[in-house]
Amino acid sequence: MLSRSFDGVPAVEALSFEIPEGSLFTLLGPNGAGKTTTVRLLLGLIAPDSGTARVAGYQLGQSNNGLRGVCGLLTETPGFYDRMTAWENLVFFSQLYRIPETIREPRLREQLRAMNLWERRNDLVGTFSKGMKQKLAIIRAVFHEPKVIFLDEPTAGLDPEASLMVREMISKLKGEGRTIVVCTHNLDEAQRLADIVGIINRRLLVCDTLTNLRSGAGITTPVEIELRAPLLDDQLTAMKLSFVKSIAGKDGKYVFEVENPAINTPHLVRALVDSEAQVYAVRPRTRDLETIYLECVNKGGAGK
Amino acid sequence: MNASLLFLRKELRELRKNKFVLPVYLVLPPIAVILPVVFAVFSTQIVAIDQNDPAILAILRIVKNTPEFAHMGTDEAITRFFLRSLVSFYLIMPVGLSSISAAFSVVAEKQQRTLEPILATPITDLEFLIGKLLASLVPSIILTWAAAILAAVIVNWLTWGRYETALLPERFWFIGVFVLAPLMGTASVLAAIRLSAKMSDPQTANQFTGLVIVPVFMILIGVFGKVLTISMSAVAIACAVVLLLVLFLLRLNLKNFQREEILTRWK
Repeated sequence: MLSRSFDGVPAVEALSFEIPEGSLFTLLGPNGAGKTTTVRLLLGLIAPDSGTARVAGYQLGQSNNGLRGVCGLLTETPGFYDRMTAWENLVFFSQLYRIPETIREPRLREQLRAMNLWERRNDLVGTFSKGMKQKLAIIRAVFHEPKVIFLDEPTAGLDPEASLMVREMISKLKGEGRTIVVCTHNLDEAQRLADIVGIINRRLLVCDTLTNLRSGAGITTPVEIELRAPLLDDQLTAMKLSFVKSIAGKDGKYVFEVENPAINTPHLVRALVDSEAQVYAVRPRTRDLETIYLECVNKGGAGK
Repeated sequence: MNASLLFLRKELRELRKNKFVLPVYLVLPPIAVILPVVFAVFSTQIVAIDQNDPAILAILRIVKNTPEFAHMGTDEAITRFFLRSLVSFYLIMPVGLSSISAAFSVVAEKQQRTLEPILATPITDLEFLIGKLLASLVPSIILTWAAAILAAVIVNWLTWGRYETALLPERFWFIGVFVLAPLMGTASVLAAIRLSAKMSDPQTANQFTGLVIVPVFMILIGVFGKVLTISMSAVAIACAVVLLLVLFLLRLNLKNFQREEILTRWK
């Protein structure tokens, strides 16, 4: 479990998660939640106070330069040498990744064309818009064909067309079997891309597949149940099951806060039927990512 | 190509396009060429201005008491003395030029947000440090040596007819230009890089370098400049002192120049 603090203030605490190879993990969290610290820890740029991790087959701290050679990073603010051309910048960084010249040139050509930057390759980066710099930074993050790619706000500052292009590129990279970690505030982007979603606020509050999160696995989810008649007191008492966290409602319309509803809703319905309640309708509320996120951050509040 | 040399090549490319820093690099070399030529050609006239001036008298006394100059005519001895005294200018060049460049080296990467992408590559901390060292040092050393060699050629060409011997290179000049100057430059760059890694903006790094590092090294140059006119053993001691300073600063940088420290001090 990874933990790291700065000057006594915890940045991340007891992080523990597993990302299957080839999947896309989205790390959501408010500003200062520890997303960037998590990425820096996993890249071996900073050392954990406690705990360890294995990334792309490398144990943290044992061969961090080897680890960095198989990882790509897109930082939140794409930095380049403004007095150098796009081509010169990419060649410089590709040389730091020790990409052989014979491979480098065709690969850069292909990627610059894919990002619609080929015609601007000989222009100084200082003349580029933020969106163009972001696209160039994405090329820099992937041109060495890394196994694991860390993308910090990959579509920040991009227009809708460029955002779509970036999302398509991310999907393409995922299709190539690369493991991708996307840090974002953009819930819509997370919903579109993610296989697994982690919500962090210094501690990892939730980490599961989007499907499980929507169905409420691991946390309580409201299940609306409509009955032909209101529950009597003894029936209500019978409904105080271990997985039912609260019951609210009247006139036969109830909302049960149920843990793991995919598993427990049938048990709840059976209990109702056994208590001779007349069940008319059962509607588990599916939640969008925004609801899940806000619930986690507000309730979990590890950062507070 | 070695990762450290990549930084050198990249910084040279950037330097060519930097209209603020490039002029600084172009001001000192012409002075370093002209100054020895002027003193070589007009040495006797300079001394003849006022034979009773205490400074001139002191120079004449040193020249007269230097055994090396005993077999020479007064004019040649005075000219050689002036040329030897001017070696300290070749110590100023690498310190002045490279410490300015080094002051920007890490903090500029921070400011333009290129530091983290660099640190995320598989280069080692040592390669990064050596890269920054070379990138700051090599241009200033090349300019210093080029100016010194050009000055020597012009001085010899203009004075050959008068003394029928080549005044340069001579051993003090040679050690000053090719040993002490690079050592002084290296020490000042290492000090400035250490500072740059600690700073959060280039202006502060530049001010600190200008107010602390450069003056400290100018004092050293003042001392060593005198030493260069005295004796070879004094020169050897000066070289040893600067070498020890270089080793100390290198050790300090190696100990502290680490990804973690640089990244977490990001302000």
